[in-house]
Amino acid sequence: MTWRRWLGALALLGALATPALGDRLLSTMSNDEIEITSSFDGEKMTFFGSIAPDAGAEQKFVDGPFQVIVVVLGPTADRTARQMTHNFGIWLNTDQVTFRKFPSYFHVLASDRLADITDITTLTTQFILPESHTLVPNNAGWWKTAVFGRQLVRLMTEQGLFGVNENGVNFLSDNTYSARLTLPSNAPPGPYIALTYVFKDGQIIARKSEGFAVRKIGFERFLALASVQQPLLYGVVCVILALFTGWLGGVLFKR
Amino acid sequence: MQIYLPIAEMSVNLFFLVGIGAAVGFLSGLFGVGGGFLLTPLLIFSGVPTSVAVASVTGQVVAASTSGALSHYRRGGIDMHLALYLVLSGIIGAFGGVATFDLLRDAGQLDLVIAVGFLVLLGFIGVLMLIESTRALLKRRSGIVVRERLPNQHNWIHGLPMRVRFKKSKLYISVLPVLIIGLFIGFVGSLLGIGGGFIMVPALVYLLRVPGNVVIGTSLLQVVAMMAATTILHAVQSQSVDIMLAFSLMVGGVAGAQFGASAGKQLRGEQLRGLLALLVLAVAIRFGLTLVLAPADAFSMVVSGTGAGS
Repeated sequence: MTWRRWLGALALLGALATPALGDRLLSTMSNDEIEITSSFDGEKMTFFGSIAPDAGAEQKFVDGPFQVIVVVLGPTADRTARQMTHNFGIWLNTDQVTFRKFPSYFHVLASDRLADITDITTLTTQFILPESHTLVPNNAGWWKTAVFGRQLVRLMTEQGLFGVNENGVNFLSDNTYSARLTLPSNAPPGPYIALTYVFKDGQIIARKSEGFAVRKIGFERFLALASVQQPLLYGVVCVILALFTGWLGGVLFKR
Repeated sequence: MQIYLPIAEMSVNLFFLVGIGAAVGFLSGLFGVGGGFLLTPLLIFSGVPTSVAVASVTGQVVAASTSGALSHYRRGGIDMHLALYLVLSGIIGAFGGVATFDLLRDAGQLDLVIAVGFLVLLGFIGVLMLIESTRALLKRRSGIVVRERLPNQHNWIHGLPMRVRFKKSKLYISVLPVLIIGLFIGFVGSLLGIGGGFIMVPALVYLLRVPGNVVIGTSLLQVVAMMAATTILHAVQSQSVDIMLAFSLMVGGVAGAQFGASAGKQLRGEQLRGLLALLVLAVAIRFGLTLVLAPADAFSMVVSGTGAGS
């Protein structure tokens, strides 16, 4: 498995390329919890940050220019990509590859073109490129993994679950930035991580990770939990509701 | 107004759901069928995951058939003895259907089987109904009196063993065809998310010679009981019943059915059956096209492992 060795080498390079962190990142975000209610139709989030000298450093100012990349990573789940082919006159699913622990949501916000910020090695080993998530070992073989992985990223992008926005981060001054993200209405509930990388001359000089949660609350949470934890009761309630609605309709309209 | 569906994990326009519920409810009231065979495809074509659509429509079919079953019960239009046999065998069939549903979903072939199932079943029933209603219409127009086959005319089915007397239907027939019909409809209904009324009614009339005054009521009761059991089975096994989706559809469906039923009184039986046949065929053709035509996207994806949680 030469490609695995190649990945290992990449990881090593990435580790070597990370310099001692001289500056630090102060950051915050607009919400640390996004609540899915019955009228949930997506949510806007803003990430703010400022690059400052390390505590106790002699230097009083930070020296730009900086580039910032904010990576928002959603909960992971096993995801299967399937391919339809034309057999015996009909189209059917004939091939599939399962990607274990694949992110259900992945958005990259950057202050510049990714290719101008740093090199492909760093982008891959730090899992900043969406495709890097498909480059994990898989029992389907590297060729199928590569083909289906590309398609999976494309499908996720079409659904608004994956994305790269190369002018998503705006610098308000030389060392403060803000980044806006719109979580779509189909954003999967679960724990999210926002990873912020500060680059200078193609090197990561500071990074920070913050967590936030997207979760169903109130009635939606109750229903989703009930359907998993008390499926029998949930089913019976559905039937009673249906019988009652049907009966009520008959009474109301005097059928 | 957007409404979030907690099981489908998507946000849909509430008026769209109530609207298609009402439109299908209108047609189901007009033709006296459950409407599952229209609603499930509509939901699938509008982006609801197939498994959620099938499982939730079973709940809506229960609601759509309840008021009809109740009014037939009050009028004494139900053969409880016959219904009992049909329901019990139907529930056994539903177990098989839901288990098959799960297997197919995991294998990635659920959409294929549902499309083929709809195509074959609806195509077959649609053609039969169309032939029958056209012949009836032509005969009426040419002035020939249509001689209905009498209920006491026997066919080979009446020669089978294990005969049971069904008093209300004035039948003394073998239970085997009854159980087979129940099993088949239970299996197909739970797999495709349809009540099966449009298969049950012709089966009772043409195969078992059940008299007209108890056919609809018995079929409706069977649909209610079997779909109720299927809803619970889907809730337990595949956990893909979306109660919000089902309820939105029910509200529209129950209201629409009342208007459909009164509109149905304006049309003659053969005309209604002819129109229903065209509708059934249209759905069958739509499914046939998805199988034959090149898909817009040859690739698809699905969450296969541990779900996102809540």
